[in-house]
Amino acid sequence: MSVAPPGESANRVRGDLMAYATLSLISIFCAIPFFWLLIASFDGNAQLFLRWPETWTFANYLRVFAKEDGAKWLFNSLFVVGSATLLVMVLSGLGGYALSRTRAWWKLPFLYAILLIRVLPSTALIVPLYKFLLTLNNAESALLRPIFGSATRDIMRWTGFIDGYLGLILVLATMQLPLSLWIMKTFFDGLPRDYEEAALMDGATMIQRIRRVLVPLALPGLAASGLFAFMSAWGDFLLPLILLSSPELQTLPLGLFRAFLRINEIDYGLLTALAFIYLVPAVVAFGFARRFLVQTFSGGVKG
Amino acid sequence: MIHLNNVRKFYGALEVIKGVDVTVDDGEFAVFVGPSGCGKSTLLRMIAGLEGIDSGDLVLNGTRINDVPPDKRGIAMVFQSYALYPHMTVAENIGFSLSLKKVAPAEIRRQVEEVAEILQLRELLDRRPGALSGGQRQRVAIGRAIIKKPSLILFDEPLSNLDSALRVQMRAELQRLHRELSATVVYVTHDQVEAMTMADKIVVLNQGTVAQAGPPMDLYHRPDNEFVATFIGSPKMNVLPVTMTREGSESVHLAGPLGMALTLADAGASLPDGAAKLGVRPEHLRVVAEEAAHFIAEVAIVERLGVETYLTVGSIDQPIVVRVEGDVTFRPGDRVPLAADTAACHIFGTDGRILRSANAA
Repeated sequence: MSVAPPGESANRVRGDLMAYATLSLISIFCAIPFFWLLIASFDGNAQLFLRWPETWTFANYLRVFAKEDGAKWLFNSLFVVGSATLLVMVLSGLGGYALSRTRAWWKLPFLYAILLIRVLPSTALIVPLYKFLLTLNNAESALLRPIFGSATRDIMRWTGFIDGYLGLILVLATMQLPLSLWIMKTFFDGLPRDYEEAALMDGATMIQRIRRVLVPLALPGLAASGLFAFMSAWGDFLLPLILLSSPELQTLPLGLFRAFLRINEIDYGLLTALAFIYLVPAVVAFGFARRFLVQTFSGGVKG
Repeated sequence: MIHLNNVRKFYGALEVIKGVDVTVDDGEFAVFVGPSGCGKSTLLRMIAGLEGIDSGDLVLNGTRINDVPPDKRGIAMVFQSYALYPHMTVAENIGFSLSLKKVAPAEIRRQVEEVAEILQLRELLDRRPGALSGGQRQRVAIGRAIIKKPSLILFDEPLSNLDSALRVQMRAELQRLHRELSATVVYVTHDQVEAMTMADKIVVLNQGTVAQAGPPMDLYHRPDNEFVATFIGSPKMNVLPVTMTREGSESVHLAGPLGMALTLADAGASLPDGAAKLGVRPEHLRVVAEEAAHFIAEVAIVERLGVETYLTVGSIDQPIVVRVEGDVTFRPGDRVPLAADTAACHIFGTDGRILRSANAA
């Protein structure tokens, strides 16, 4: 570069400047909605337009938690999505291991078949899914009512398939499981059997092999599959909308949606505060799993 | 002492181990060697207990252990990938088998340090495997094996992940360890140089059977068949098609390619007339004066290594390698008169079985 004539190096600098300027513009364009969200959520008089707040205030956030059921919605979202994620991690860990190690003839057909679940839009499945869950729900209700009487509704809020946590958790987990199974299967494919065999020769029982060898080795893969499950389930709107009706079961996106639909007024301060709260867990989850993601998608375990 | 008696293994209908008989004595360093797919790793895994044995007996120190679980056999194994757990420190890796047995932490620490002393790993005990070099990982893997005080240590191609300089160093290291621990070792490799340099006993495997077993120099000088003859030794033995004609009671005349003609004076009475194969190692061929030559061939390739030179002569489908002392002046295209050391000639039947061994020992 030292041999380049002055004119050429000036050209290069100008070219770089142009590139950075263009990229900066695009970045700003992408970042503005988030920026608007952030400052509007602290604005005492938030509007639809980007503007610098005249008064900074936490009132919007206070309103979310004091006037509205924000805490309840946040808990519901975290509980439902968290449980679904945990379920996905356990099932995809065990299932991915089995799919990686088995030599069964149905392995590849099975893997492609489950991918189909992921490809089919869940919206198209809403009717049969609802019908199926409703049947299960009625059966469960018929079973529980003679035993628990009037307490049945309280139990069903947790274990019901329609308008209950369990149903939503199972459906969300089912939607995320195919991709997670693929991730874990691929991850275990890259994990030499030697690790397990060495543990076997050292006298480790099945439980010890899983707990002390496989789980620690699989952690990066599990984090990746869990993160994808969490982010995707966290963003899901349609399923909670269809499957939940009780106000006390509402999740964050539903709360946001219903606050937006109120007839008489649109409270932008409340909406942006809600939206910001809705964003935070996804970002935090990404921050946690980022380290493992890099490991998983850049060549597995080194050792 | 470990003894394999007519051991067999099937994958479905395919027989991969076809009745193997091998004995490894206490303190012996035995090397299973063979081309890939010969069944050497499968055999090792059968001894370890990672693969089942379909028929035959596996006897360790007088006890039949066919159905004993791997960890109860008193056998340790060093894996090709080393299989060091990346989430544990060196000390935790070495002490893993003890911690599974619920040995007290202080006792584990003491034994780990003892092993680390032998393997010169003292300074590395708190590191993770990811921060170690290839040779250090190898030593940790050995440490994990010897802490169990096994009556037999199995090695599955342990040097194949190392570069060639480190491989030479680790070969010496392994031999030193074997001497110090006086352990019984079964070692699997596809590299006949590793086998030759380290083994007390070599077991050459070919297509699931033992082609020959014995001390390295026995296999080198007195191979039982063409497979062992060409597998052991580098560059490999030249094997040439010849026609044998008896001349009197003891003497046999051989006619081969390139107008080769030579007489084995003391061949014995057992060699039949007809087609056979002549086996002669590169170092048993000499460049001679024209009148003493068994054949004359054109030089195709000259490989100079300084202390010795390898000439490849003859045609592409029937190359013959000749080892010549020192640095020679031959060039490709030169015609050189060559003679074989008749005392060092092997005769194989057309089926590859040995008919006459070399006299030289």
